[in-house]
Amino acid sequence: MVEKKKTTTKKTETKKQEAKKVAPVKQEVKAAPAPAGQQAVAAPGATTAKDARIGVFICHCGTNIAGSMDIPAVEEYSKTIPHVAYVDNYKYMCSMPGQTIIQKAVKEHNLTGVVVAACTPRLHEPTFRTATKDAGLNPFRFEMANIRDQNSWVHMHDREGSTEKAKDAVRIAVAKAALLQDLYPKSVPVEPTAMVVGAGVGGMQAALDLAAAGIKTYLIESDMSIGGRMSQLDKTFPTLDCSQCILTPKMVDVGRSEKIELMTWSEVHEVEGYIGNFEVTVRKKARGVMTPKEAAAKGIVGGGCNGCGDCDAVCPVVKPNEFEIGMKPRKAIYINHPQVVPLIYTIDFSACVKCGLCVTACGPEKRAIDLEMKDEFVKLKVGTVILATGYDIFPIEKKEEWGYKRYENVITSLEFERLICASGPTGGHLVRPSDGQTPMRVAFVLCAGSRDNTGVGKPYCSRFCCMYSLKHAHQITEKIPGCIPYIFYMDIRSFGKMYEEFYYRIQDEGAKFIRGRVANILEDPKTKNLHVYADDTLLDRPIDMEVDLVVLAAAIQPKEDTNRTRKLFGVSCSMDGWLLEAHPKLNPCGTTTAGVFLAGVCQGPKDIPDTVAQAEGAASAASIPIHMGEVELEPYFAMCLEDKCAGCGMCVNLCPYSALSLVEKNGRTVMQVTEAKCKGCGTCGGFCPGGAIWMQHFATPQIVAQIDAFLLGGEQ
Amino acid sequence: MSESKANHTFALYLGCIAPNRYPGVESAAIKGCKKLGIDLVPLKGASCCPAPGAFGSIDMNVFYAMAARNLVLAEQMKTDIALVCNGCYKSIWEVNHKLKHNKDLRDGVNEVLKEIDMEFKGTINVYHLAELLYNDKFVGVSKIRDSVVTPLTGARIAVHYGCHLTKPHKDREFEKGVMLNTEHPVWMEELVAALGATPVEYRNKMQCCGAGGGVRGYDIVHSLDITNEKLINLKEVGVDALTDICPFCQLQFDRGQIEIHEKFGVDYNLPVLHFAELLGLAQGMSPQELGLDLHAISCEPFLQKVL
Repeated sequence: MVEKKKTTTKKTETKKQEAKKVAPVKQEVKAAPAPAGQQAVAAPGATTAKDARIGVFICHCGTNIAGSMDIPAVEEYSKTIPHVAYVDNYKYMCSMPGQTIIQKAVKEHNLTGVVVAACTPRLHEPTFRTATKDAGLNPFRFEMANIRDQNSWVHMHDREGSTEKAKDAVRIAVAKAALLQDLYPKSVPVEPTAMVVGAGVGGMQAALDLAAAGIKTYLIESDMSIGGRMSQLDKTFPTLDCSQCILTPKMVDVGRSEKIELMTWSEVHEVEGYIGNFEVTVRKKARGVMTPKEAAAKGIVGGGCNGCGDCDAVCPVVKPNEFEIGMKPRKAIYINHPQVVPLIYTIDFSACVKCGLCVTACGPEKRAIDLEMKDEFVKLKVGTVILATGYDIFPIEKKEEWGYKRYENVITSLEFERLICASGPTGGHLVRPSDGQTPMRVAFVLCAGSRDNTGVGKPYCSRFCCMYSLKHAHQITEKIPGCIPYIFYMDIRSFGKMYEEFYYRIQDEGAKFIRGRVANILEDPKTKNLHVYADDTLLDRPIDMEVDLVVLAAAIQPKEDTNRTRKLFGVSCSMDGWLLEAHPKLNPCGTTTAGVFLAGVCQGPKDIPDTVAQAEGAASAASIPIHMGEVELEPYFAMCLEDKCAGCGMCVNLCPYSALSLVEKNGRTVMQVTEAKCKGCGTCGGFCPGGAIWMQHFATPQIVAQIDAFLLGGEQ
Repeated sequence: MSESKANHTFALYLGCIAPNRYPGVESAAIKGCKKLGIDLVPLKGASCCPAPGAFGSIDMNVFYAMAARNLVLAEQMKTDIALVCNGCYKSIWEVNHKLKHNKDLRDGVNEVLKEIDMEFKGTINVYHLAELLYNDKFVGVSKIRDSVVTPLTGARIAVHYGCHLTKPHKDREFEKGVMLNTEHPVWMEELVAALGATPVEYRNKMQCCGAGGGVRGYDIVHSLDITNEKLINLKEVGVDALTDICPFCQLQFDRGQIEIHEKFGVDYNLPVLHFAELLGLAQGMSPQELGLDLHAISCEPFLQKVL
C-alpha cells in the first residue's frame, strides 16, 4: 500500500511538470489582480504535499455533531494524520470565536491549509473561506469535511460508527488540503441590459422593476398579448378585486415604458454566452401585421396597425378563441380579447386562407397587413435573464372518473372564470354548457389531479385551487340567488394573509363543504345533470349528490416546453418538473446557472401575491450584477493541457454548458475552455482519454490522494 | 410465446363457475379460439384459482401457495396460461406477478411447494381470454371481424367489464400497452362491434356486479341490491343482452335475476352471455353447442333477434 502511494505521488509530479509547460489558456476574461510574484491563473504544481501543514478544526455544532460522536477521539486521531500540524475543536466553528481560532492557528502554526470538519460546504464554505482568507491564506486552501449532514444526522444512534466515519472524512479532507493550490477568481464585465421571458403578471412585474432601476429590459412573450393567466381571471382572492382592473394598469405601464422593449408573438430560439454576456436569439414569429414602428421602417408613413378591427370584420375564417378556452369564436386575423397590449392584430397562419379581404379592408394608408411575412430572428445581448414562463393546466380529462370532455356539464375552473367574467363569452352569466340554463347546484371538486398519488395526477399541491374555489363559491352565491355551491375538499389550505378570514366568510355565505374526494361522476343521460359520488369522511357515509354543474379545480403542471427552456438556459428542474431554484429557502430566485433567475409559477405553484413578490426578488437579484458592472467567477474551470490534447473533440460534445470548443493553435487542433461558461462539473476531465484536462480545485492528483487516503485507512 | 408461430398455444385454466354452471363458455372459448389461431389445451390437475375474495380475505399464504401450484402446472407444460374469468385473473396473474418480483414471497411459497415436489420458477405469463382477443399481438379486432359468419346485426349489447381485470390500476400491466383506460374503457365495445352488434353505453358501466369480494357469500341482499342497480341502469337504455368476461359476474347477473325476482319482486329477463359465447354465436356455433339453454334467464328473445 505504501508503495502504491509513492507511485501516485510520482505520477502527480510528472503531470504537474508537464502542466507547467502549458501555454496559458486564452484570456477572454479579466483576471483579478494577483499578489505580486504569483501567476494570474494558478498553474498546476504550485504546492507539493511535502511541505504542507494542515490545521484541522472540528465543530460540535452544539449537539448536532457532538451528540452523536466522540469528538475527543476524532481529535486525537486527527493528530496522527500526515501533514496535520494543528488540531482543535469548538462548539460552533462558524461563530466569530470559532473563526478566530482558525485565524490564530494559521498564523501561530504557520499552516498552509485549513480543514473544517462540520456541516456542508453548501452552508458554510463561504464562511470558512473568508476565515481562511482573513488568516492570510488563499481562500481556496480551505477544505471541508462533512461530518454532520452525511454523518451525525444519519447515524444518530451509532456513536461508534459515526466516530469512525468522521475520522475517515477528516483524513480524506486532509489529503486533499495538502495538495490544494492558490486560485484567483476572475471578473467578467456585465452587459447592462436584462431579459425577462414570459409576460404574465410575474414577468411584467420583474420587467417594470428592472426598468424602474434604470435597466433596459427586453420582455419576451410567446402569445400575442402580455398579461398571461391573470388576464383570464375574473376576480382575485381574497380581496375580490377585478383581475383585469388591477392588471391592465400594469400592462399599460409595460407598453409605455421607455426602458422596456416589448416583444410579443416572439420566442427565445437560442441562447449563447454566460452571466453578463448572454447572446439570445429571439424568433419573432410572423405576425402578418405590422406595428406602426415596423411600417415606418418600411417607409409607410402613418401606416401600421392601429387596432381598428376592420380586418377582423371581413375575415371569413372562424376558429375557437384560445383565450376563452374555445367558448367564443375568433377570426383568422384577431386579437383574443379587447384589452390586449400591444393592440396589434395577429394572423393565425395555420387557419388563414390568404383571401386578401383583410388587406383591402385595412386600406392603402395603413397597409399594416403582410400576408407573406416570415419569421425574423433577432440577436440580443443581455447581462441577466429572468424566466417567468408560467404554467399549463393539467389535462384533467386524464382523470377519467370525473368525465371532463365526456360530460358537457363538467367544466374546469378556468372555464368557470371565463363564464363568470363580464367580458367572457356569456357576458358573465354562468350557464350550463349543455342547455344554457342557470345552474342552481354547483359542485366544486378540489385537488382535481393535485395531491394525487395514483400516478395519473400530480403529487404536489397546486396551492391556489382552494382559494379560487372559495372565491367561485362566493361569486355564484352573489350572482345567482339560491344557487348552492358544494365544495368537495380534502383540506382547505387558506394559509395566506386574510385567506382564513375569507374562508370563514364563504362558510357564512352558505357554501356547503363536504370533506371527501370525489370517487366518480356520472351523467344522467336525459337531464345531463351529474351525480357526484364521494365519501363524506366527516359524517362517515357515502354520498350520491345530483348537481347541475361540476367545476374541477384542475391541477397545474409545468409548461409543455419546459424541457426546451431548461436546455436553452441550462436550468435544472426538480422531481415534479418545475424549474429548480438555487436553494429552496435561501436562494429561491436564483438558478444553478449564474445570471439566470426565476419568477412565478415556472419555479413551482404559487398565487398572484407570491408570484409578484418573487418577481420583485428576481428583478432585484438580476439587477445586482448589472449595477456592479462586473461579476466574479469561481475559479473551478477546466484547463486544457495542450501538450497532451489530441484534439479529438469528444469533450466538446459532452460539455453540458457548451463551454468547450476546438481551436487551431501552433498548427494543432486543441480544445479551448471558455472559462466564464465552465461550471467545473468535471464531465470532460473525467472522460478525456489522454488525461489532457486539468480540473482546477478538483484535479486528478487531489482526487486520487483522497481515494488513497480513504482506502489506506488506518495504515497511514 | 414466439410470434412467428402460426398458432399460439395456451393452457386453458377453467376455474370453477365456467365448467360447472356455464359449460358453453368452455366450449366456445376452445372452439372459437381455434378459428382465430389459438390453441387452448387443458391445464390438467388444476385446482381452484383460489377465489380472491374468499381465500384472500382469510389466509394469504394459502392463497399464494394454491395459485402458485396452478402456475407450476403450466410451467411444467412450458405454456402460458389463458383464462376466462376475472376472479381467476386476479389470483393467478397477480400471484405470478408478485412471485416473479418478490424473492422473499417466492422463497416462502417454494418452501410449501417443496412438500409436493414443486418449485415456482416464474417462466410463464398469464393472460385473460379477452386480452388475447383484443390484442393484435395474438388476435386483434380485425381478425375477429373476419371470423364472423353470423353477424349479430341489430342487437343492442351492453358490456360489463367486471372489476378484477382492470383494477387495481397500479397493479395491472396489460392496459399499459393496449387498454389504457381503466375508468371508462371501450375496448370491449370494439369487440362487440366486431361481431356486428351495436354496443350500448349505460350509466355507471364500471360498477361492480355485486358478487365479488365475498359480498355474495356474506350478504346476498346487499349483493343483489348492487346487481339490481346495474339492471335498472341497463333497462334505462334498453338492451337485448349483456355481455361479460367473467363467469362469476355472469352468474350474478343471470341467476341473480331469479333471486332479485324472489327478493325484490322485479323482473328484467335480460339475457346475459359471456363474450366467448357471443363470439361462438357469431362464428356460427349453435345455441345448444354453447349450452345457452342452461342459462337461468332465457336467451331466446335475443337469439330470435340475431339468428
